[in-house]
Amino acid sequence: MIMPGTASGFRLEGVTVRFGELAALQDIDLAIAPGDAVALVGPSGAGKSTLLRLLNGMVRPSAGSVHVNGDVLAELSRAGLKRVRASIGFVHQDLSLIPNLRVIQNVLAGRLGRQGLLVSARSMLFPRRADAARAYEILERVGIPEKLYERTDSLSGGQQQRVALARALFQQPVALLADEPVSSVDPARARDTVELLTRVSREEGLTLVMSIHNLELARACFPRLVGLRQGRIVFDRSREEVGDDEFHALYDLEAAEMLADGA
Amino acid sequence: MEPSASPARPFPLRTRGAVLLALLVAGGWAFAYLDLSFGDLVPNEGGLDIAGRFFGRAFSPALTSEADFVPEGTPPLLVASLAALKTTIVYAAAAMSLSLLLGLFLGFFASTAWWAGDPVGGRTLLGRTLAPAIYGFTRVLIGFMRSVHEVLWAVLFLAAFGLTPLSAVFAIAIPYGGTLAKIFSEMIDEAPRGPALALRGAGASGIQVFFFGLVPRALPDMMAYAFYRFECALRSSAVLGFFGYETIGREIEQAFDGTNYGEVWTHLYVLMAVIVLFDWWSGQLRKRFVA
Repeated sequence: MIMPGTASGFRLEGVTVRFGELAALQDIDLAIAPGDAVALVGPSGAGKSTLLRLLNGMVRPSAGSVHVNGDVLAELSRAGLKRVRASIGFVHQDLSLIPNLRVIQNVLAGRLGRQGLLVSARSMLFPRRADAARAYEILERVGIPEKLYERTDSLSGGQQQRVALARALFQQPVALLADEPVSSVDPARARDTVELLTRVSREEGLTLVMSIHNLELARACFPRLVGLRQGRIVFDRSREEVGDDEFHALYDLEAAEMLADGA
Repeated sequence: MEPSASPARPFPLRTRGAVLLALLVAGGWAFAYLDLSFGDLVPNEGGLDIAGRFFGRAFSPALTSEADFVPEGTPPLLVASLAALKTTIVYAAAAMSLSLLLGLFLGFFASTAWWAGDPVGGRTLLGRTLAPAIYGFTRVLIGFMRSVHEVLWAVLFLAAFGLTPLSAVFAIAIPYGGTLAKIFSEMIDEAPRGPALALRGAGASGIQVFFFGLVPRALPDMMAYAFYRFECALRSSAVLGFFGYETIGREIEQAFDGTNYGEVWTHLYVLMAVIVLFDWWSGQLRKRFVA
């Protein structure tokens, strides 16, 4: 079994992220309690990916502060930052697995952050029986145990996303972040994958934050929705309170502005 | 006139045309400088005859020695050819093993990925100070190793140490090690960064990202390139026969000197066969481990 960790809470206070001239996020205040499940919705370029990367310490805020489980990321030492990252699983949009390695090696790579170089080299090259057994258990949970020793690139897109989830779970995380995890998965499998992520997070008591394009799916699977547009939070409500008007505010206005710009 | 809204071409057609033209002019100038003309291709006296006899034997390579005088105890031609081939392969294998070690070791230091900083934490103190110096030194070192051809290294080592096997092995291993280091480091540096960043995000250190995020991705290409270099090493090892090493190059040279062209072809075909065979075998290996 996966050890249930203490769920991790997140808090952003007045966070702005600038990449050169471009402001990816502006003055964001957001609190996510341990064990919450939150969907980030909004058009491309709204800042969803940047927000997720703030939460696992892969992007530095230009202003404001990021709190993860009580730690302020900017105040952490190198080792502290590493520890926080190791405690947060991240499922990426795509391209995050090594395609020519076996599934087991990709799963074991989830624990690099908790190991030294030599220990990790040994376990990556010659996986211990106990590690293999644990990887197998986790793959069982995500529904593809028989793929343990397959080459990763022989799997379908949906199966690879399950491997990515297995790698994140192998980290023994306290929170799970997912950046458009179903954008490269065919629509029929997308729902399965999102439901799998929410179910596993619930069962493990993990905080879950996922960015997602599909609004239907977001409403169906997440109790709380945060809408982003052009780097700002447009709404932050429970799913019952999010109506079509809010979605229009995210997408249609954008479309209207684009039309206006083009004219 | 282009519409003002469309972005400026980063590389205008005019510039591209100018570069092409400059390359053509440079090529033409080189021809002119060397005074190359096909009118110079006047054969030496009897030259065409020699060429004719040589290529004529392509279809009838010798099966036994063609020399007028064969000393007592000389092994049959095919045995001698295969023995020389074995020596050729052994030299190539020894040189390649050494250059692989050099290539992997120096390739690590010659890449930028091992000291690239963290997206948030930046570079460590080591990454800011010592690492760039080591990197720069290694790039210069492998540049030097590569800029001298294996034949020139052989001349140098023979002058210094004489006709010892180690001279031949070093002569091949040094330039090959430099080349492997350069190519390996570039393959690793150019490996897709997606998986590497993902591992960083899971708390992996820079060195862990290098070995488990970038190297595995570059490994198939590195392997393919190493196989190709072994093929080159076989040829280089053969050529060192002209310096007196007992590789197949020496057999070829002696046969050529004695104008025993049939024998030359025999040795050439033996060498060709082993290269084709090796190519096939490495293809099989790659299919199994890589593709």
